Amino acid sequence: MRIQAGIVIASIAILFTVACQSNTNSNAKQLTLAVNSGVEGDALKQAAKDYEAQTGVHINIAEFPYANLFEKELIDLTARAGAYDLIMLDDPWFPKFASQQLLTELSPLLQTKGQSGPDEDFVPTSIALGREPYQTGALYALPYVGNSQLLFYRKDLFAKYSLKEPAIWEEALAAAKTISELETNGAPGGGKVYGYVMRAAQGNAAVADFMPIFWAFGGEMFDPVGRPAVNSYEGIAALKFMLELGKYSPPGYASFNADEVGAHLLQGTAAMSINWPAWISAFDDPSRSKVISKMEFTTLPGAKNPGRAEIGNWLIAIPRDARNKEAAFEFLLWATSAEQMKRSALRGNPPTRKSLFTDPELVKKFPAYPAQLRSLESSRPRPRTPLWNEIENVFGIYLSKANSGELSPEEAMNQANTEIAKILERGK
Amino acid sequence: MRRFLNAENKKGAGSRVSGVGSDKALAYLLLGPTVFVLFALSIYPLIHAVSLSLQITSGGITRWSLQNFVRLVSDQFFLAALGHTLVFAVVALTLEFLLGLALAVLLNKQIRGRSFFRAGLLVPMMLPTVVVGIIWRLMLNPNFGAVNGTLKGFGLNTAAFTWTSSPRLAMFSIIAVDVWQWTPFMFLILLAGLQAIPQEPYEAALIDGSNAWQTFRHVTLPLLKPAILVALLLRTMDLLRVFDQVFILTEGGPGFATETLSLYIYRTAFRFSDFGYAAAMSFVLLLITNIISAFYIRILQAKESG
Repeated sequence: MRIQAGIVIASIAILFTVACQSNTNSNAKQLTLAVNSGVEGDALKQAAKDYEAQTGVHINIAEFPYANLFEKELIDLTARAGAYDLIMLDDPWFPKFASQQLLTELSPLLQTKGQSGPDEDFVPTSIALGREPYQTGALYALPYVGNSQLLFYRKDLFAKYSLKEPAIWEEALAAAKTISELETNGAPGGGKVYGYVMRAAQGNAAVADFMPIFWAFGGEMFDPVGRPAVNSYEGIAALKFMLELGKYSPPGYASFNADEVGAHLLQGTAAMSINWPAWISAFDDPSRSKVISKMEFTTLPGAKNPGRAEIGNWLIAIPRDARNKEAAFEFLLWATSAEQMKRSALRGNPPTRKSLFTDPELVKKFPAYPAQLRSLESSRPRPRTPLWNEIENVFGIYLSKANSGELSPEEAMNQANTEIAKILERGK
Repeated sequence: MRRFLNAENKKGAGSRVSGVGSDKALAYLLLGPTVFVLFALSIYPLIHAVSLSLQITSGGITRWSLQNFVRLVSDQFFLAALGHTLVFAVVALTLEFLLGLALAVLLNKQIRGRSFFRAGLLVPMMLPTVVVGIIWRLMLNPNFGAVNGTLKGFGLNTAAFTWTSSPRLAMFSIIAVDVWQWTPFMFLILLAGLQAIPQEPYEAALIDGSNAWQTFRHVTLPLLKPAILVALLLRTMDLLRVFDQVFILTEGGPGFATETLSLYIYRTAFRFSDFGYAAAMSFVLLLITNIISAFYIRILQAKESG
């Protein structure tokens, strides 16, 4: 009931904002931008200020925490309220928005600028995210922040035991075993160093840490005709392998999220992990890190298939019912230009342009950029479906159950498959 | 206002009869804003929620259907969440009641440092639930947390104590945190109840030669019953809709081991955008809460009239 009350209040609030906006927006010198509160949104907020100073276009910022941004945007876009001229969105949300035709197609706007398509400088895997269908369809969003997963590992410990950078998952497992068994008192301040650490909390965490293993082992979430196939031979083998890695992970990892994994790496109590670039700078911060200049970052290991990371880009799009599409498009082009994206990169966000990943000034400041570019170029999106939130939730529950020992890998994958099939059935 | 009330009181019964019309009008006028707020924030949303729960949308077409309620019966996640909520509520309620009662009886006596204990006991209740959740999440961290750190200090092997990460311990952990935070609430109401009991029945019991247990069982408990029922009623309603602690401590995990109904409803509505099904589940939760509350209220009224 409280939720219902919440919806009513939220709708009233939206109507109210819209009512206010419709008065102020009429002079077209104003834009409203929905951003997440966090490093990615901060960069765009700063850019908006610069833009305002340069052009005199006033930009209102509507800032929401990650967990709320999706629901705010979805409610506004489906209600066709037009409160936002531009929205920042995480790429897994894109299929939901695009499949319901809630976004403005960008190609006609590009043509008015004399461009036949988006800048060739964008990393292909990033620009592909803004197309519906994926890679081949019409363009609805431009990529702003170019995250993709990396393998983090302790180069000092790898050197100590003459281990080479893992190219395949079996090598990573062997390294995790060696370090776990031999570094029994090697952590800063004493204590054991675990060979590996992962997030296996239900939901996004477990799925993100599992997908690269799943793909490398040859697993696919859907078969060619779109039926769920996580309980394939390859899928179960991948989950069994995840549990093997779990043996060298700290106790309790079945409920770990990003902060627990980050803490173990920063405290020097774990030697390896799949992680996101946003964590890289923390390792050089003396107030947080006990492993300064001991970490190395590389692309993910392979198995049957070459290693591929999960991509996680922030996109910017113009809602279909935005009030100032032309002005919004001007800002979108400006913010995603190489010059502005470099500023965003200097503020800590990985870019989505090849020229910036190889920019000498940036590479000097962010030595992991070459690895990040290789990872991004070979990365894969999460399975593109408007039902992804629900599927990810269920899949994560069963991965977490397998990792906490509640279910065997076969049981977990079979049950996950059944539940995913139900979600697809309902979504028809 | 006071002068107005005094004037009303001074009026005799006769003049009151003639003033009935304007009194009624005033009463409606004064109730008006409350009724309006109640309607806007409770009654309308309730009706809206029920109608939402009776609609399904597929292929862009919305139609009336009982499908959301049919789905409840076959949804193992809903049934599991309901089970977790009931287990959580029953166990936490029992523990909070027994501990709260023991503390109230203990601190109703003249003991040294009584006011210190009374004030200190209320601190957990005054902290925001989210803060309590975060504090306990840090303390229960299996590797860096204070709880395992302390146990290690006593020479215990804490490898198996993964509190919020183990499917077996996670439910226990969230119950323990709730008991820590909300036992003071039970204590507060029961202590107030104890202090409202007059001395005479105790003196009579003393003269009749009853021992401490007999006095407690046959004098204190019956006289405390209204306070007990109120405390149980309020806690039950709160426990059934538990959200924040669980959201912060385990987010329903590991797996699905501590997912409560409110959490599942939240996820269904705001992550999966399935408002109809979320409304159907909310309706069931409301129904359960109402049935249990009606049960308590009936006992309470039976007591008062008897």
